[in-house]
Amino acid sequence: MKKLALTGFALVLAAVLAAPAPLAAAAQLPAPEKLVLKNGITVYFLKNSDLPIVSFRMVVRGAGSAFEPAAAEGAANLAATLMMKGTAKMDADAVAEALDFMGASLGISAADEYAQVSGDSLSLHFPRLMEIAADCLTAPAFKTEEFAKERARRIDSLKSAKDNPGAAVRYYFQKAYFGGHPLGHLATGTESSLQKMTLQAVKDFYALHFRPDTAIAAVVGDIEKDKLVALLESTVGRWAKPASAAPSDVIPALPQPKGKTLLLVDKPDATQAYFVLGAPGYAMGDKVTPQAAVMNTLWGGRFTSWLNTELRIKRGLTYGASSAFRTWVAGGIFTASSYTKNDKIGEMLDITFGLLGKGAKEGFAATDIESSRNYIQGQFPPTLETNASKAGAYVRVAFYNLGFDYYDKYLAAIGNVSVEAAKAAAAALLPQDDYVLVVVGKAADIRPLLKKFGTWQEKKITDPDF
Amino acid sequence: MPKKTWLTILFLSTFALSLSAAFKKEDVKVYQLANGLKVLLVEDHNIPNIALYTFFRVGSRNERPGLTGVSHFIEHMMFNGTPKVGPGEFDRRMEFRGGSNNAYTADDMTGYTDWFPAPALEAMIDMEADRMQGLAFVPDVLESERGVVASERRMGVENNNDSILNENVRATAIMAHPYHWDVIGWMSDILSWRRDEVIAYYRTYYAPNNAILVVVGDFEPAKTLGLIKKYYEPIKASIAPPSVSTVEPPQMGPKSVLIRKEAQAPSFMVVWHAPNAKDADFLPLSILAKPLLQGESSRLYRRLVREEQLAIRVGGGAQETIDPFLFTIDVKPRPGADFDKIDRVIEEELAKIKNEGITPKEFEKAMNIVRNDFYMGLQTISGKANQLGAYELLYGDFGKLFTIMDDYAAVKIERVKEVAKKYLTENNKTIGKLVPEGGAK
Repeated sequence: MKKLALTGFALVLAAVLAAPAPLAAAAQLPAPEKLVLKNGITVYFLKNSDLPIVSFRMVVRGAGSAFEPAAAEGAANLAATLMMKGTAKMDADAVAEALDFMGASLGISAADEYAQVSGDSLSLHFPRLMEIAADCLTAPAFKTEEFAKERARRIDSLKSAKDNPGAAVRYYFQKAYFGGHPLGHLATGTESSLQKMTLQAVKDFYALHFRPDTAIAAVVGDIEKDKLVALLESTVGRWAKPASAAPSDVIPALPQPKGKTLLLVDKPDATQAYFVLGAPGYAMGDKVTPQAAVMNTLWGGRFTSWLNTELRIKRGLTYGASSAFRTWVAGGIFTASSYTKNDKIGEMLDITFGLLGKGAKEGFAATDIESSRNYIQGQFPPTLETNASKAGAYVRVAFYNLGFDYYDKYLAAIGNVSVEAAKAAAAALLPQDDYVLVVVGKAADIRPLLKKFGTWQEKKITDPDF
Repeated sequence: MPKKTWLTILFLSTFALSLSAAFKKEDVKVYQLANGLKVLLVEDHNIPNIALYTFFRVGSRNERPGLTGVSHFIEHMMFNGTPKVGPGEFDRRMEFRGGSNNAYTADDMTGYTDWFPAPALEAMIDMEADRMQGLAFVPDVLESERGVVASERRMGVENNNDSILNENVRATAIMAHPYHWDVIGWMSDILSWRRDEVIAYYRTYYAPNNAILVVVGDFEPAKTLGLIKKYYEPIKASIAPPSVSTVEPPQMGPKSVLIRKEAQAPSFMVVWHAPNAKDADFLPLSILAKPLLQGESSRLYRRLVREEQLAIRVGGGAQETIDPFLFTIDVKPRPGADFDKIDRVIEEELAKIKNEGITPKEFEKAMNIVRNDFYMGLQTISGKANQLGAYELLYGDFGKLFTIMDDYAAVKIERVKEVAKKYLTENNKTIGKLVPEGGAK
């Protein structure tokens, strides 16, 4: 494959929440119908009968890993997974069998700020899919045996992640950047947190955080509205609201790294060194979003970006180099990442820091700004092409209270980003002296090359956790 | 990053079905230019964009020792300049017009995937036709790109234990056919392909008579065909590329490969020689893979992950290929798990299928999975373009896309048992193990 697949953790949401399209065209995201179930859940609905399939999405505010007690890191995602491992009516095998039989997919997982439920099936099977989803949401069994199995599987998966430095460097970065901040919770938990985890902690998290009064849902696909309303009322509509008030969904302000911090993780068998560099960004919905997107596209957000041009296209140092912003309600971060042969990591970082300085000082040429605007706008429509992507956009736009014309406004704003505005965004957001840098590689070879890049910390890949 | 970026065979799990009214064979307009270029056009005005996919009938299957990985390398060089469009200009011009692209190389094919707003169509057809006929292979650029591919191999194979094992198992199971090596190629070949060899390879396989052009999206067909003729008709056909004549000899006994490597977690896989995509036994084997391996209710997931807790995950199946390839079972064992026990469980489950076959319910489940995957893959203009092109290349007939589900439904359930007995045998089996050494706790 020729291109870097932009799959960094920073990009999953950014890809949809940061994009643009031909102006004056139809709305990017068709306005959905708003349905309110008797238990208060709002469901956004769009009918699409092109293919005999339906997608369901739901977010549950405050059920993300950032809201776990510090002592129960991993509880949110563990709760989400265990909700599908048996209910009052069906054991785990029965749930899996029923879903697999339909060829359908159903998933519950925890992001940082919310938990998400995703279901996709043939229209024919959608009623059964929703029955199972409702059962998992409202009556999970949380059996001791399933807890023990899932915990053991996760501990082993974390070990296996350390064999893949490209994956491991992300975990190390999240810990190094956020430290004890709630956004430093790894959704998977850590080996130590999982060892100490109790089933009670998982049940407690579920009881407090998974609730209909903080849920928003969307359905897009081949189904009639009347049928859908009846189906939803008899499934997720029967999810009863707890007597207690919903817990706080406020995440404290993000850490603001001061000075240059470097963490080297020694992986003696690595033939490449992998880095992630991070610094403060901006919050979801911040007015800097369009100019930051135009700027980042040029700096490290696409194939011909400065970063990829210098590291890959001109020098052949790497297969991929990219940068991205990641945003939450409470704030955001900027990250840049790449990898190269161990002996080239010093050169790669010198170039990267050189480009950060250049962006902040010089900004970008007018034709580049135009190219970036065109690119963001031209690449947008496919991001909302499927039922699932539309349903996902509805729940996220509602969650962040952006308004369903958000994308139209955003794309229009992209079209108006000036050379000056992009330069100002670069000066404000490309880190120079305050950052967290994490490198995973063979320390014996790369230690001397890295000394100058920051205050030193070193770990072995075999040390516990990240 | 995807685990095996150079092997994105998107169509692997996507088969057709009696298609809904939304997408019919009649919606595909088919043309062939005098120089042999096959053109498939599908109008779709859902979004104001176009997917333009170009497929070449070339992949690692067409390579030879010393030139392994060169198909994939040419895929990289396709972005690095012609006399008309300088190095890097393809991407710069495309991005300026709001487009983006990617490409992939597989064992049997190379695909170039362009996504762009409708107004960029002529510029894209112009640039695609240009790079089909005149890559520059500028020496400095070639050397730099060699470094990129070496990095891709380091990332995708050398720093990924499952891939190291996969490469070793493939090379052990397949001894004669070019499927012996992985698409990325051996590192020593990557570091030593000569420019003249690369150019000769490009000239042999990059020609209109060896290509399929698929355009899906927001365009007007007559006008688009006119543009295609304008830019592609001047390109001359090449001499037909040589066919791949090597036939893998039958395996005559069990094989195994053991890797000892610094790691936290072990890896394990088993493969058997399997028929090609057109063989009458392929669909029964593909059906077999679903109740055996797909989903948490599959027989092996239940036994290995849930009941005996020997593994973190299982996967695999049959792969659609031009020549016979492998049926694979991938297992990620838990650290310290007994490999022999894993192998025994697999053999026990296979023995059940060889004796009793799969249940009618499992058969129906396989059909549901096939149907779901199929529709999910047709939701996008790029999904349609990819499937049409891949079917045309693999089966020589894109129309297969519109009938293959009927072919699936017509498979007799007893055939699953028969193919299990025929292919998943002791003498046809290669087993691979990666054992952690040092480093691991």
